[in-house]
Amino acid sequence: MNDQRVYTVSELNREARGLLESGLGEVWMKGEVAGVSRAASGHLYFSLKDSESEIDIVRFRGRAPVLAPIEQGMVVLVFGRATVYEPRGRYQFVASLVQPVGSGLLHAAFERLKEKLRLEGLFDPAHKRRLPTFPERIGVVTSPTGAALHDILAVLGRRWPIARVFLFPSSVQGDAAPAELVAALGRAGSFTDDGAPLDLVILGRGGGAAEDLAAFNDERLARAVYASPIPVISAVGHDVDVSITDFVADVRAPTPSAAAELVTPDRAEIADSLQRTAGRLESAVTARRTAAERAFRSSLRASLVREPRRLIETREQKLDVHVTRLLGFRRAAADPLIERLHHAEEVLKLTDPRRPLERGYSITHVVGSNVPLRSASEAAPGCEIETVLAAGRLRSRVEEVTET
Amino acid sequence: MKIEEALAKLEEITARLERGELPLDEAIGLFEEGLALAAAAKKDLDAARLRIDQVIEQAKGTLSVEPFDVS
Repeated sequence: MNDQRVYTVSELNREARGLLESGLGEVWMKGEVAGVSRAASGHLYFSLKDSESEIDIVRFRGRAPVLAPIEQGMVVLVFGRATVYEPRGRYQFVASLVQPVGSGLLHAAFERLKEKLRLEGLFDPAHKRRLPTFPERIGVVTSPTGAALHDILAVLGRRWPIARVFLFPSSVQGDAAPAELVAALGRAGSFTDDGAPLDLVILGRGGGAAEDLAAFNDERLARAVYASPIPVISAVGHDVDVSITDFVADVRAPTPSAAAELVTPDRAEIADSLQRTAGRLESAVTARRTAAERAFRSSLRASLVREPRRLIETREQKLDVHVTRLLGFRRAAADPLIERLHHAEEVLKLTDPRRPLERGYSITHVVGSNVPLRSASEAAPGCEIETVLAAGRLRSRVEEVTET
Repeated sequence: MKIEEALAKLEEITARLERGELPLDEAIGLFEEGLALAAAAKKDLDAARLRIDQVIEQAKGTLSVEPFDVS
């Protein structure tokens, strides 16, 4: 007796609490509501009873909302854990969910699965993948006859027909639907076209009654979405409908059409941006041409003075190249810059010293100088001169100078 | 060329041309290349028609890909 442990009151309550909480864990319990009271704190207190027994229930403020008002005599399902309120040593049940039996059952199961998968990390934002900007291969897992497919194809056809669509047909409601959806999603995940996997897959269906959307709340499907090697977009029902796949998927779309919009760029916007870029290209090249033309004119002036022939030949050749290329531009004909370049070309031709040579004229200069002789007085008897003909040169010595 | 690549290339060309340091023939060459790229991309965008195939499991493990009739 002496070596038996003596507990304090608080030790016993603490131990009892621990045993209860760990021994039973979280459970569902069904019963009839009695003695409801709402404390000023916002916590809800009531009792739950059946024909033989009764237990106090607490639902703390801030937990999942109660879908319907809890009233005396109602039959409800509660989810939570049995525990001991230590300061009073009172045995009670702390409920995290309170659901009226019947209509609430589906929802309760939904919440339960959602919480379970959330705790497992299936909704983890870090697991969610980014979608490619320009998808080339888009998978769609849905009914081949449903409104969802029709909506998705309409949007893809308008916005991004560049992409190819691969449909993985499946039923989307009924008992077989979850397994079929899992299989179709698996096929989409491992599918390759030309060795390339799909960029993403849209998983969805159109709107319907809550029971019709139930396949998308299936735990197997949720896990298949999580395991998918390619990004999954969940698009189930209308925007008010929420399914488990919405939480697991990489992206949740409010409707199937919205999913198709979310995953594609708009070709009209891209066409606009192409137009803007072409405009930028044109201003840039125009600026470059203006600068080049200015440089060309000033160097032309300088070269005509200094060294007429060689420089003019090379410049002219360059100009020919530019003019030919510029003439190739679609819009170039109306461009005043082109006209100015043509003009410059004409000027060059007129000033080309070779033209007169072809008609029998010649240019003469004193050997050692580039300055053409214009007057006989510029040479003296005995000096060496060179005459440039259309073909070849003559070197001669001046015998006599006659001034006119 | 894929639209994505064409857009990236076009952006690169435009940026180079806008820096304005290139010799004239190179600038004109880039301009031509850029316009051609933009025109080709626009043509691809306009001409594209959505292609839809259906992937069905024929026997265990064998998939068939066939055109899906939209109507």
